[in-house]
Amino acid sequence: MIALRFILVDLRRHWIGSLAVVCLIAGASALGIAVDLQERALRIGSARAAERFDLVIGAPGSDTQLVLSSVFLQPSPLTLLPGSVLARISADPRVAMAAPVGFGDSFNGMPVVGTIAAFVTDGGRAPLAEGRPFGTITEAVVGADSPLVLGDQVKPIHGLPGEGGQTHRELSYAIVGRMAKTGTPWDRAILVPIEGVWTIHGMSHPHEHHADESGGSAEHDHDHDERSGAVSTEPNDPPIGDRHLGPPWTDPPGVPAVIVKAKTIADAYRLRSEYRTEATLAVFPAEVLTRLFATLGDIRLILGAIAFATQGLVGGAIVLVSVVHLSQRRRQLAMLRALGAPRTAIVALVWAELMLLVATGVALGVGLGFLGAKLFAIWLSGASGIVGPVILTGQDLALVLSLLGIAAAIALVPALVAYRQTAASGLRS
Amino acid sequence: MPGVRLLNVTMRVAGLTGPVIDIPDLKVAPKERLAVMGPSGAGKTTLINILTGLDRPTSGQVIWDGVDIARLSEAGRDGWRSRNVGLVLQDFGLFDGLTALENVLLPQQMRRLHLGSPAHERARDLLSRVGIHRHGQKVETMSRGEMQRVAVARALQAGPQAVVADEPTASLDAGSARDVSDLLIDLTREAGATLVVITHDVGLAGAMDRIVTLKRGRIDAAGASPAVSP
Repeated sequence: MIALRFILVDLRRHWIGSLAVVCLIAGASALGIAVDLQERALRIGSARAAERFDLVIGAPGSDTQLVLSSVFLQPSPLTLLPGSVLARISADPRVAMAAPVGFGDSFNGMPVVGTIAAFVTDGGRAPLAEGRPFGTITEAVVGADSPLVLGDQVKPIHGLPGEGGQTHRELSYAIVGRMAKTGTPWDRAILVPIEGVWTIHGMSHPHEHHADESGGSAEHDHDHDERSGAVSTEPNDPPIGDRHLGPPWTDPPGVPAVIVKAKTIADAYRLRSEYRTEATLAVFPAEVLTRLFATLGDIRLILGAIAFATQGLVGGAIVLVSVVHLSQRRRQLAMLRALGAPRTAIVALVWAELMLLVATGVALGVGLGFLGAKLFAIWLSGASGIVGPVILTGQDLALVLSLLGIAAAIALVPALVAYRQTAASGLRS
Repeated sequence: MPGVRLLNVTMRVAGLTGPVIDIPDLKVAPKERLAVMGPSGAGKTTLINILTGLDRPTSGQVIWDGVDIARLSEAGRDGWRSRNVGLVLQDFGLFDGLTALENVLLPQQMRRLHLGSPAHERARDLLSRVGIHRHGQKVETMSRGEMQRVAVARALQAGPQAVVADEPTASLDAGSARDVSDLLIDLTREAGATLVVITHDVGLAGAMDRIVTLKRGRIDAAGASPAVSP
């Protein structure tokens, strides 16, 4: 195909300019693609992270903070929800599962989260990748991405990840299971029985399991002093490994949040409104995320507009460059006309040459944008644990096609300038 | 039969009072070889443009084989030119980066996406005929004489009824100029084509059937070539 060779020869002759044009187009389209990809990845990633969390109940405060702390394990001190609320929720017949989550400790930068065994397997819906859920207060299950292996011993450090603090000597956990990958911050967490967290922080009531025999717990003096520590030294306490784990609790200590799975959707809504009181806060993580994404959407819109403006500028620059380039090729194109080439062939040549650059640039841009989004997602996942799937969809195809379509129209400008040139004009030197 | 007649052809350009070309009647017989001589600025290139349909005269007829190309549209003239006229120019008008063979084929490629093997065969024959044997050689690596020979092969590729050459030997050394002159004459004769040459080259003009001199756009003197007639 000699015409194609003709185009390639011209591009090679002006390879620096061609390269610059390709890079400009690649950069501008990469920007647009990356913004879309990353926004989608973040949206899907966070929605996926919130899947397990139907309803989150906590102490009054910021609902965003409650969701960020419980769903995304973002370290922040939350006000404790009184244990009585936990007991009441657990006993509610409309509740399928009420999982307390207790934060405050970490191990090698991994958050240690106290909860119940049922939550580890999502009530049986999410089988473990290996091992089994914890059965005693000294056992733990790790997230899929944890470097710990089954059999490892973990002594938590008091304090949130990155804060540092003193090592708890009260309790160490043996890893007995590993969760399947969820693509959420929980993949890096160490899940332990909530009773362990209570014990470590000295919040556990020494006689909680004997409460019924001793006639209720109301008169018991709750030990809320974190420093008092030595809970397991009480003479009447059963050996620590034999304690009963999970609900029903009698007179449990406070927890930062309770994750509630309702039996029906209607129940979920009823529970949500019932626990929206002055003493408690109940939110659907999805509604908080929706609000966050509305903000994020605005940012995306701005970034999208910037990307669009960049593409427009690049488009203008390319028209300018190609018209200048065209004036240098005037003689060459006139020569083709003199040799009998129809004007349509000249238009096609100029247009095809530009489109070749544009298509190369856009293809490179998609690759670059994808790579950029991927790198950002990897960084984000390292920083937050949220795995955002960077995927190309039909929407991106539409964006690419519209870019090419606009470019095709813009490329007609120099092509038509070439069309208007008469055959004789270029031969007069 | 092919051949051309210019009738009452004038060409005016904006800013000049007199016409740059004013030719009441000029006839070139089929297969005739005509040299157009004259000082620079006499309107020789304009005459070439009119003869080949690159430009339309302000008035008058340019009748090739019964077709007045002055009445054709621009696209029509492009098409007509591609079928009927082979052009040879002073500075060759070859396309760098392409091989000799590609240069010969390019004009036809501009009209047809797929060139069959007959076109390739003819191009190779013509190249060999003008003494270019490395058909895959890039034209920019060739000597000027070789380049003009490639251009001569290109001019004949479509089997035109006329070859129009604008100073074909002006940028060549004496030896190459003689080679190119001979090839132009021999090949157009073999092809049965009319040859119109604008030249300062007395040797080339002398090998033509007839010489006309152009002065300020007018034919100054016309007659049989002082050299031998065919």
